[in-house]
Amino acid sequence: MRPRTLALSASALVTALALVGSALLGGSEGQALQGEYKIGLLEPLTGPLAFEGKRHLDGYEVMRDMINERGGVMGKKLVLVVGDAVDPTAAGSEANRLITREGVKIITGTYSSTLCGAASEAASRQNVIYWESSCVDPRFNKRGLRNVFRTEIDGTGFGWYNIEFIAKHLAPRFNLKPNQIKVAFLSEDSSYGQGVTEAARQRAKQEFGMQEVAAEYYAFASTNDFSPIIAKFKQLNPDVVHHIARGNDAVLFWRQSKEQNFMFKALVHAGATGYGSIDFGKALGVDGNGPFVLAEPGPGLRLEAFRPEARKLEADFSEAIKKKTGDEPLASHRLAGAGLWLLKVVLDQARTDELEKFRAAVLAIDMPVGSTLNGWGVKFAENGQNANERVQHYMLQWQNGRLMTVWPEEFTTARAKWIPLGAWDQRK
Amino acid sequence: MRGHALALVVFGAAALTPLVLHDGFFLDSLILILMWGAVSGAWNVAGGYAGQVSLGHSAFFGIGAYSAALMATRWNASPWLGMLVGAVVATGAGLIIGYLANRLKGPYFALATIAFSQVLLIVASRWRAFTAGSEGVPVPFRPGLWTLGFASKVSWVYLVLGLALAVYAVQVYLERSRVGYQLAGVREDEDAAQALGIPSRRLKVVAVAASAALTSGCGTLWAQYVGFVDPFYVFSVDLSIRFALNTIIGGIGTAMGPFVGSILITSLETFLRATFSDVRGGLVGIYLIIYGCLLILVVRFIPRGLVGWFGERFRAMGLHARA
Amino acid sequence: MSAVPQLLVSTVLLGGIYALIAVGLTLIFGIMRVVNFAHGEFLMLGMYLAFWAFTLWHIDPYFILVVAVPLFFAVGLGVYALVMRGVIHASHNVQIFTTVGLSTALQNLALVFWTGDFRFVRPWHSGVVLRIGGGAFNLSQVVAFAVAVLFTLSLFAFMKWTHAGRVMRATAQDGEAATLVGINTDRVYRLAFAIGIACVGVAGVLISPLYSVYPTAGLQFVLLAYVVVVLGGLGDMVGALLGSLIVAAVEVIGSYLFGSAWKEVIYFVLFIAVLVLRPAGLFGQRGAEALGV
Repeated sequence: MRPRTLALSASALVTALALVGSALLGGSEGQALQGEYKIGLLEPLTGPLAFEGKRHLDGYEVMRDMINERGGVMGKKLVLVVGDAVDPTAAGSEANRLITREGVKIITGTYSSTLCGAASEAASRQNVIYWESSCVDPRFNKRGLRNVFRTEIDGTGFGWYNIEFIAKHLAPRFNLKPNQIKVAFLSEDSSYGQGVTEAARQRAKQEFGMQEVAAEYYAFASTNDFSPIIAKFKQLNPDVVHHIARGNDAVLFWRQSKEQNFMFKALVHAGATGYGSIDFGKALGVDGNGPFVLAEPGPGLRLEAFRPEARKLEADFSEAIKKKTGDEPLASHRLAGAGLWLLKVVLDQARTDELEKFRAAVLAIDMPVGSTLNGWGVKFAENGQNANERVQHYMLQWQNGRLMTVWPEEFTTARAKWIPLGAWDQRK
Repeated sequence: MRGHALALVVFGAAALTPLVLHDGFFLDSLILILMWGAVSGAWNVAGGYAGQVSLGHSAFFGIGAYSAALMATRWNASPWLGMLVGAVVATGAGLIIGYLANRLKGPYFALATIAFSQVLLIVASRWRAFTAGSEGVPVPFRPGLWTLGFASKVSWVYLVLGLALAVYAVQVYLERSRVGYQLAGVREDEDAAQALGIPSRRLKVVAVAASAALTSGCGTLWAQYVGFVDPFYVFSVDLSIRFALNTIIGGIGTAMGPFVGSILITSLETFLRATFSDVRGGLVGIYLIIYGCLLILVVRFIPRGLVGWFGERFRAMGLHARA
Repeated sequence: MSAVPQLLVSTVLLGGIYALIAVGLTLIFGIMRVVNFAHGEFLMLGMYLAFWAFTLWHIDPYFILVVAVPLFFAVGLGVYALVMRGVIHASHNVQIFTTVGLSTALQNLALVFWTGDFRFVRPWHSGVVLRIGGGAFNLSQVVAFAVAVLFTLSLFAFMKWTHAGRVMRATAQDGEAATLVGINTDRVYRLAFAIGIACVGVAGVLISPLYSVYPTAGLQFVLLAYVVVVLGGLGDMVGALLGSLIVAAVEVIGSYLFGSAWKEVIYFVLFIAVLVLRPAGLFGQRGAEALGV
């Protein structure tokens, strides 16, 4: 066959398949089956965010099974229908597909700030409830949408907690008042890094009068050398380095700081990437001692501080995640699990997915800190956001290759060390 | 009306679909097909009709998207106004690119356009004070015609269809008008065209600027439809490649080419995503591999795209029947 | 003032990395006059080769180099035969879209098979630091630099003093005339392409301990490589080395003075400026770019 004909036939065949396939793609129109309740789940399963998206998916699936063992949702078996939200256009499209083709009345997900915006828009236009468990964009709940809820802290919360830690826990131990502390802000430049850093900068300056000596952003994937930045920072002599890293940049910065003998009293980060990744400990071992990471709790957590129901949930969840993925639960798993569990609580209370009754049930919840599997409390505001103060976050620290939970002290057995960080070879 | 047969069929079907089909999934796919088709058509004005292949058209798309979003968020301005402002800014950017088109040959020009779109990406993601930086801009949804806010998919179908018809009309004008013939001359052999007294440099700049303005308009509509402007997406190289891809597969330099290409490419993508979302692993990403291979094959063996190829067949059949 | 030695070191080492990536490109671009948009993807494949060899079999990247050279040479031959040969004499548009299609296909093959996770290769030497004078040299960077210089000089010698090199240069200057004197231009192009791909594959292996490995890693490097190649002049090996140092200097000094957020803007603008003002590059012949492109 001539190449042209071949190419054309291939194209025609593919188009025909696409059209026929779409026509045949008859998803069920609504909650037809008795005894099942479908919820839509949107995650980035392909593309650059896929590895976190899949962790989210794992967390959701494990929690779904746990929920079905505990009476399901409104007495029915919980079923998750999944959509791949690889970019904002796809997020909107897939949300639409889940609503029109699968008939879901609630959509959950979606990991990233740029995706949750588009997905929740699509849901709102069709009056479908949107239950976000992970994205941190501070504007998410400020659009006046009655159907949009978020269980996770909003982005300002991470920065808020970091500065809280620096001002209340570190400053006294440096013998400095908060407004005497010099902070150098360094961050990767994605929406996550910018969101957290800007929130931290604002609180540092406005509430505590901390002195900001630098605020540098960099593209994490194309940076292989922090020397220019470290050279600049050395001259500015900060007390604390607030570094939001995304991957290998944490290892690189820490290592190069050591090589170039850049001295500072503490380094604080937030999130499960960069310094919060197990990879940091694997790469550096005891050389990585010292950095603080605001993240989901790990070793050193006093589960006794949790309420009994929460302890049981946490234990079952951890075990199931270990069986499924071979690892301890990571932040993404916990966010998904806690978010879905809360959804069950609401639905069981409201016994319907009708918006007004659902909202009433959501706003009625009032749980103290320590009530959910990651130690959160729950209290939603009118705009659908779970109060930052209830979404308890923890400060962890790298100690001898392990990320130990060190703060708040009423929740931890371990304690923070090396305050201030001494010479590079003195941190044992 | 003979030359418009294909357009009648495609756009007519699009217009009739919402009356017959109420399935939101199909309507959403139709909207995306028309939208990507329109922006590919806008690309075609510069890339096909003027022969200036740009791989940085996402720059103009992003300008349109941001204009509407920022003006609506900061000053409560109507997105139509945002579209106008975006078109003006994009035209300015288009003039710069047009100037480059006159200085740089083919592949160099393509590289420069990529660099340009990436500069805009970096600026948009860093200039927090103006654009909210990497976090992007949520587009406020206010129902109404003046605020370009429609919850109903049916309204969107007709809105995007209007856009598609406008882009189609511009392309047809370029095929039939004197300006269009001159442009074709410039495209085929610039030296000869100049010898004939055609102001080739000016024409190229105008074509690129017009293409930029149209692309920006599409960007505005996209932003209103999807509701969130992410700098890493709207200024991406992938998006620029998509505009060119649709047009080349469908038929570069033909008015319906971009739309035919979009039908094939967008349907394939939507279908694969709907089918394989549940499956772990990146199977959904397969469509992108297929696109890459299709591009190589089409540009080599069917350089005139599907429209050109089928057009030839029909004409051949016609001659045969007459004989 | 104490920052200067370190900045100087950073510039030189970074320049070495960029030279490594650009040297293969300037060869292909210079001889074949084809803008290969997929160049970055071969770099990415080199990085993944190093990653998988290290992760699965604990082979150090420097040992994998031995395998990488013939492997990527063969890949280059294959890609030439399948894709490039058909478009050598085709119009610019065909060339552009063929290589763009290749780029898209390769990126997404990597994405489908290996996912979008950011990986890294961390052999024992990625943490080794040499302290000489006032600066700290990272061993991986030093090796990359040394190899870059080696490759550049070897290719320069090859082009200048071997028969094959002379044949290539002749073909680059005037393909038709070359055919007239009996040169098999197809073989020349094939060799040039294969060598170029081998170079960039090796570059990928060498930089794998320094950068994250992910499917779209090629994009940022390919644009950078083109900046270098255009600055240094098409086909000019030493020009590529010097161009790399210039771009590295701009990046390092720019980061230090203005903050690293804007460094990419600086060299993109530099790129557009060079293309517009002096397309033959800083060292190339003026007007050379108009010939044959």
